[in-house]
Amino acid sequence: MGRKKKKQLKPWCWYCNRDFDDEKILIQHQKAKHFKCHICHKKLYTGPGLAIHCMQVHKETIDAVPNAIPGRTDIELEIYGMEGIPEKDMDERRRLLEQKTQESQKKKQQDDSDEYDDDESTASTSFQPQPVQPQQGYIPPMAQPGLPPVPGAPGMPPGIPPLMPGVPPLMPGMPPVMPGMPPGLHHQRKYTQSFCGENIMMPMGGMMPPGPGIPPLMPGMPPGMPPPVPRPGMPPMTQAQAVTAPGILNRPPAPAAAVPTPQPPVTKPLFPSAGQAQAAVQGPVGTDFKPLNSTPATTTEPPKPTFPAYTQSTASTTSTTNSTAAKPAASITSKPATLTTTSATSKLIHPDEDISLEERRAQLPKYQRNLPRPGQAPMGNPPVGPIGGMMPPQPGIPPQQQGMRPPLPPHGQYGGHHQGMPGYLPGAMPPYGQGPPMVPPYQGGPPRPPMGMRPPVMSQGGRY
Amino acid sequence: MSLFGTTSGFGTSGTSMFGSTATDNHNPMKDIEVTSSPDDSIGCLSFSPPTLPGNFLIAGSWANDVRCWEVQDNGQTIPKAQQMHTGPVLDVCWSDDGSKVFTASCDKTAKMWDLNSNQAIQIAQHDAPVKTVHWIKAPNYSCVMTGSWDKTLKFWDTRSPSPMMTLQLPERCYCADVVYPMAAVATAERGLIVYQLENQPSEFRRIESPLKHQHRCVAIFKDKQNKPTGFALGSIEGRVAIHYINPPNPAKDNFTFKCHRSNGTNTSAPQDIYAVNGIAFHPVHGTLATVGSDGRFSFWDKDARTKLKTSEQLDQPISACCFNHNGNIFAYASSYDWSKGHEFYNPQKKNYIFLRNAAEELKPRNKK
Repeated sequence: MGRKKKKQLKPWCWYCNRDFDDEKILIQHQKAKHFKCHICHKKLYTGPGLAIHCMQVHKETIDAVPNAIPGRTDIELEIYGMEGIPEKDMDERRRLLEQKTQESQKKKQQDDSDEYDDDESTASTSFQPQPVQPQQGYIPPMAQPGLPPVPGAPGMPPGIPPLMPGVPPLMPGMPPVMPGMPPGLHHQRKYTQSFCGENIMMPMGGMMPPGPGIPPLMPGMPPGMPPPVPRPGMPPMTQAQAVTAPGILNRPPAPAAAVPTPQPPVTKPLFPSAGQAQAAVQGPVGTDFKPLNSTPATTTEPPKPTFPAYTQSTASTTSTTNSTAAKPAASITSKPATLTTTSATSKLIHPDEDISLEERRAQLPKYQRNLPRPGQAPMGNPPVGPIGGMMPPQPGIPPQQQGMRPPLPPHGQYGGHHQGMPGYLPGAMPPYGQGPPMVPPYQGGPPRPPMGMRPPVMSQGGRY
Repeated sequence: MSLFGTTSGFGTSGTSMFGSTATDNHNPMKDIEVTSSPDDSIGCLSFSPPTLPGNFLIAGSWANDVRCWEVQDNGQTIPKAQQMHTGPVLDVCWSDDGSKVFTASCDKTAKMWDLNSNQAIQIAQHDAPVKTVHWIKAPNYSCVMTGSWDKTLKFWDTRSPSPMMTLQLPERCYCADVVYPMAAVATAERGLIVYQLENQPSEFRRIESPLKHQHRCVAIFKDKQNKPTGFALGSIEGRVAIHYINPPNPAKDNFTFKCHRSNGTNTSAPQDIYAVNGIAFHPVHGTLATVGSDGRFSFWDKDARTKLKTSEQLDQPISACCFNHNGNIFAYASSYDWSKGHEFYNPQKKNYIFLRNAAEELKPRNKK
């Protein structure tokens, strides 16, 4: 992992203080013990997720995490494995461990300050929401110099100056966002592997150095953060500023959880410095994509997605197709001429790989007449008029179309030069000049042909 | 079944009931049929932008025409107007204010159709059929982008006969999409280029194709902040690639999935793989729809990586699709796309455009 040793070596469960060898096991434990619905036994992914599930499915509220030790029952804290654990509690744990190992507690402060800069996971930086009493059994918040703010501040992170400003506005915004989060997070988790290491997506969304990030957030926040919720899915910005707020979001007194990691509305990330961008990304990326045919397994892990035909994971029938497709793939990359693979197990319903369907079709003489078709042009209107029996054009046309008439004929000739319709008169759309714009066609005029919209032509059959 | 709950609309189609044929599969999904549909294959569909009240649908066909219908809330479709090119129409798009429609044709030109005056003038010229046309609205400029089989991408100020800018493409342009400030263009020989449109269009990155077969359609998707962040690319091999421009973890974030294939698994019969003819993203939910030569459409949730729905099989390929501005209507065209060559073309066969209520079926799998 690229993270600092935030996890404190061995993963431990925040809710019940048990130690585990592996984060995966920890997560399984949490799901089974703390995030399991007591009504239907469904296992959720986080506390808030469980709360929302109970509310939505069973119409029941729960206010404490099942099987949690007193002080650690906050249902609104978004904790998943080792992520989301409040800084304060991490410290307490560390202290505990240190005490156990008879070490001095000097480290704690340093760690704390370091942690703030950590842009991954959790840490809520200090909001320590829990003003909550919890700590029973824990070394009370102690006076850690580093974390003054913690204790008191539901929402008031005095300690984190930079965050400060951002916080208040965030709070209010939280609730609305809440509901959406957990689920989103969950399924983020689903294919953990995908983001796992990244944490970027992690709920608490990478904290970015508070300072820089905050200001931009401000403006965005008040609106109740609707936009900000980037949600795991698309992290275009991730690398960029991302976050900061998340931390704040996390621990907010009430709302909590979700963490929409409001990202500053920057377009930059998309096209960094207009032009330069990470061209580098290309190489590796390309090869990573290739896998689709070959070795489906290796590349992206099978994120349990249920795409039946999902390449990466599903092998089943696909395997055969994959392999067969792989062959042509090889040749294709070099020279698509061969094409359309036909193999024992699959067949491409496409005439030729070299040329597109439209190109092939356009070659037919039938579609090659680029000259103005004699037939169409003028169309005396009358026959043409009624489209779908709208209205007898004839009678209607004259009156309505005053303006229309003149233009009609020109319409017939489209071959690149419109008679009567100087295509390129500098300075303005000439056509508009012609004829009084008909009544804006869209105003429903029920009767009468669509405001004289009836354009002429009906070259083919006019089965209109 | 109407678009908005009230039952009606079907009556207007008139020609849809063949009466006798019980096995008629032209509309197995029982969707609303648009009246007065074009006489030849429909190559492109586009709904009006939110700036216009109501919904107006534009369709370009191989009959050289571009038709406009008003789609009412009760599902009724009213033909409004039509324009002609001298060659099949390959792409259509609206201006951001809903007053103009741009059309691209095999006659090597693109036109601007002013709907209020019902006049269309040529605004672009290429050396080969124009395959794509898109309207670009930037804070400091507006223009029309046209992609052609002449391997160029041109940008036009509609008032001038010369292009504002011409960019060379590695190969013939096959499909493109624009969501400011990003544009994605896919070409023949599996070329794929992304452009950034701020200040002026410039090539941003050439991407090695995530697909192994000919590119056929592309659609840009946005992130939660409504900024374009990636695109979906479909090929002729029944596969769609979801590709992010700057993902945190490309290997994991980008993926491809198979679609529009017949079930070849059950028996020893080879699986038929069809081309993906169109991809469209739901403007609100961010989920996507794909339509294929197999005559089916499917809805997918790319974040949950799951399929939401697949339709019944129509008796013709589905050649184009699009959503209206608020995502309530999904329009798809049923017409021959030449996937089986000239032999299977039946000029007598009717071409349809169907409208379906898309508000519910495209909700993401996980409530976001």
